[in-house]
Amino acid sequence: MVEVPAIRVVELRKSFGTLDVLRGVSFDVHRGNVVSMIGASGSGKSTLLRCINRLETPSAGEVYIDGEPMGARVGANGQSSARPLVEINRMRRDLGMVFQQFNLWPHMTVLGNVIEAPIRVRGMSRKDARALGEECLAQVHLSEKSSEYPARLSGGQQQRVAIARALAMRPKAMLFDEPTSSLDPELTDEVLSVMRELAGRGMTMIVVTHEMGFARDASDRVMFLHNGQIEEEGPPEQIFGAPRSERCRQFLSKYRQ
Amino acid sequence: MSNWERLVWNQREILIKGLLVTIEVCLIAFAFAIVGGLILCLVRMYVRPLRPLAIALIEFFRATPIFVQLMWVAYVWPELFGWPNTFFTAGWLALGLQSSGYLAETFRAGIEAVPAGHREAGYSVGMSPFQVFRRIVLPETLLTVAPSIVNQFTVIVKSSTLISVITVPDLMLQALKLVHVWFEPIEILTATAAAYILFVFLVSAAGKALADFHRRRFGLAAA
Amino acid sequence: MSDALLEAINPAMFWEYRLVLMRGLAFNAYVFFSSASVALAVGLMAALLRVNRAWPFRWIGTLHVELFRNAPDYIMIVWVHFVLPLLLGKLLGQRIEWPPFVSAVVALGFVYSGYFAETFRAGIQSIPLGHLDAGRACGMSERQILWRIVLPQVVRRMLPEATNQFVSLFKATTIVSLIAVPDLMYQVSMVIQTEMRPLPLYTSAALTYFAVIYVVAGTLRLLSERWRNKIYA
Ligand SMILES: Nc1ncnc2c1ncn2[C@@H]1O[C@H](COP(=O)(O)OP(=O)(O)O)[C@@H](O)[C@H]1O
Ligand SMILES: [Mg+2]
Repeated sequence: MVEVPAIRVVELRKSFGTLDVLRGVSFDVHRGNVVSMIGASGSGKSTLLRCINRLETPSAGEVYIDGEPMGARVGANGQSSARPLVEINRMRRDLGMVFQQFNLWPHMTVLGNVIEAPIRVRGMSRKDARALGEECLAQVHLSEKSSEYPARLSGGQQQRVAIARALAMRPKAMLFDEPTSSLDPELTDEVLSVMRELAGRGMTMIVVTHEMGFARDASDRVMFLHNGQIEEEGPPEQIFGAPRSERCRQFLSKYRQ
Repeated sequence: MSNWERLVWNQREILIKGLLVTIEVCLIAFAFAIVGGLILCLVRMYVRPLRPLAIALIEFFRATPIFVQLMWVAYVWPELFGWPNTFFTAGWLALGLQSSGYLAETFRAGIEAVPAGHREAGYSVGMSPFQVFRRIVLPETLLTVAPSIVNQFTVIVKSSTLISVITVPDLMLQALKLVHVWFEPIEILTATAAAYILFVFLVSAAGKALADFHRRRFGLAAA
Repeated sequence: MSDALLEAINPAMFWEYRLVLMRGLAFNAYVFFSSASVALAVGLMAALLRVNRAWPFRWIGTLHVELFRNAPDYIMIVWVHFVLPLLLGKLLGQRIEWPPFVSAVVALGFVYSGYFAETFRAGIQSIPLGHLDAGRACGMSERQILWRIVLPQVVRRMLPEATNQFVSLFKATTIVSLIAVPDLMYQVSMVIQTEMRPLPLYTSAALTYFAVIYVVAGTLRLLSERWRNKIYA
């Protein structure tokens, strides 16, 4: 039997008013795989991630998590109907998301940020949540900061807390939207190495990034998004070694040192 | 709507007379507050020996309710200092004193918001400290605080309703007098309230427009 | 004149009039807490109207804010006390009356709701939308996001400005004496009418108010700054 992909995106379209941002995007991500998404700014990468966990509602198309459609549920009689927000919320927990702007909640401590959703959403006891939170913070090497407020941390540390916050929901897959783009160069490495460790432990990940080094040696596949469509995709050796598309080649040439 | 005609329109001369008194008192208080506030601010920032006195005055004017201050100036000051000798003077003086406390702090915030680099640029072309203050710090401060100063005028107008209590014949007092004559408060008081609200609205709209203008023209954020 | 000055700053007068001062001050506090509750509740509602997506709601919220923020509190108190009962009486076809205390609380509460609405709105709009997305991405419901992420931040952000508005509101409570609510100023003016000694009485009233407001406001500002700085370093 064929394995069900962890994330399957089918003919996803999204427009804002008259602006077509995503124009039919389809791909699968298999369990334990890391997919890097590259492309020029404005090509629709963030919108794609946000449509996958439904922070935006797609105009058309569907996203399947472990074979289950995000946007619709299929009733016993085979009829499909729109999924209510409550259920979408439940499915979202399976997808951890890490933002470019960290988006830590400034009024909660580091540990408070990490255990908020396990307590409120999963209904965990405070004690269990704390244990889980400490464990997740250890995974991002920030155990000693658990009672600080986010404002006291460096950008790299804040982003690692955001990763721990996503991990605490025990997600089936994680979405990263340019996790290092608002960091100083010397801070990006600590975040990237945490992400590499996650990948090594078998986490399924979609990573939007401009870090070509990471895309080349940490991902199983690379996708080049252009104008709301996947212009080219393949294993990193192919994309970085011998891109077939002229646009992809041009894009990559800007990143050659 | 004959009531409106009888009680408001036909009394317009009295009401307008009151409005003129209101405007007069507010303008005098406003001018006094700007000058007084600037002096208090400068003394506080640059005259070491008098600094505690300036701070005490500023804090006292700011932390005492205007109504209390008004009664105090109107009934206690004449005994203490032999002045002010009319309620009209007591009215603008109390309003002006309170606002001078607020404006002193506004000016200080404005002066402190002038980036040190602007001052240093002045020194670097050989200006004296006084020239730097006079030609760079002060104009820049006045631009940034201008909207707040206008806003302070609205505070004065709102507080000025209280001078009716010490029998200064402003709009509020004339309206209350009419109520006592006719025993029909609805139209008179509603019209008076509307007049005050409209007046204050127009002044603060002007302040906002000024702030927007300064932001566009000079890239300044209002202090 | 020096006699007068001495009399004005004689500390014995505080002792002499302590009952009047204390009783009056307690009533100021009573008016303050009542009208602050009204102002916060009405102000939050007006702010939520102003950030609403539908323009009729926004429009009503804006009208509310402009109407009350620009109104002098004295005339609003007088209006609520003398005009509103008549209007309601006409509407309901019966005589309506309420004590001056109610007029004072309603008028001050509504006037200050205009100020609080703006503070709430600025607080709400200052929260990065990403914070809400982060909550949604964790599967939190919209209500959890409002109560756990938005409101705690709004409260912290608006605290310094709200402190100033609470101070203004407390100062405004002194004018309720003008419709015979028995606050400090009212008590003081009653004694003045019998004893004819405005100098020590008004002076001690002014100093009492000054001391209370200066100390309370200073403490509140310090606390709110500290609390805030811990978070927005
Ligand atoms: N909420 C929105 N409303 C309108 N336009 C949007 C919105 N979000 C994104 N866009 C537009 O969609 C396009 C793609 O944006 P985005 O997905 O953020 O690109 P990327 O992340 O690849 O830089 C841009 O032109 C952007 O202006
Ligand atoms: Mg993006």
